[in-house]
Amino acid sequence: MPSRVVVALRVEASPERAFQAFTDEIGAWWQPNGLFRFTARGPGRLAFEPGAEGRLVETQPDGTVFEIGRVIAWDPPARLAFQWRQEGFGPDQQTEVQVRFEPVGSETRVVVEHVGWGTIPQDHVARHGFPLEATQLRLAEWWQALLRRYQAVAGAR
Amino acid sequence: MSVAATRLDRTLEALADPERRRAVEILRQGPRRAGELAAELGLPPPAMSRHLRRLRLGGLVEESHPPFDARIRVYALRPEPVAELKAWLDATERAWAEQLTALKAHLEAG
Repeated sequence: MPSRVVVALRVEASPERAFQAFTDEIGAWWQPNGLFRFTARGPGRLAFEPGAEGRLVETQPDGTVFEIGRVIAWDPPARLAFQWRQEGFGPDQQTEVQVRFEPVGSETRVVVEHVGWGTIPQDHVARHGFPLEATQLRLAEWWQALLRRYQAVAGAR
Repeated sequence: MSVAATRLDRTLEALADPERRRAVEILRQGPRRAGELAAELGLPPPAMSRHLRRLRLGGLVEESHPPFDARIRVYALRPEPVAELKAWLDATERAWAEQLTALKAHLEAG
């Protein structure tokens, strides 16, 4: 079972510009969504404190700052890596986001790898009651499929 | 017959009984002790034990003990862990694809 997610997209920009936009301007383009909700109080505004000793934080509407993770690698314009923790993660759950900026002609291929998903943040759903999260949805689908199979078998008798 | 097919047969067999399906419906609301389930279903304890055994073999429920008393058995529905993780990864991938699309729009707007 793979425990990583890889997503890539080409952007019309140099690697330098893409790296700068990804880090300095994350607050301007980041789209809050249910799955990437860092705390139950959010969503807030994301910002990188730049540099190898920096971190990614979310400033909540009430002004409190939640640390999503420390920077692991800050190598502009090629590579960026940082820890990623949401409030609903278990004590042992640690994930990491690795971003590569690869030149393709005059453009840049941005590759995001989110690794460390050995487990699902179970209480992420349960504790905060997020609506229709993937896990709940999937469980419902699983049951429906099982019951359909059951009906087919039972009906054939 | 494949292992997966055998497991599915056991699962379907476990569900092929109205009292066991009723027990599953009750457990969807939360874990229960065997005694509580028996009371809600109006079944004598030995019959309830047999049903729970079949549900366990079908992979539908799991059994645990509260930390304070090893004699008490608590039953809960067993989520399908692999399918859940897969669904989680798929959702995470979609979420990142949305973020990169937003980054692209931001970069190419100026």
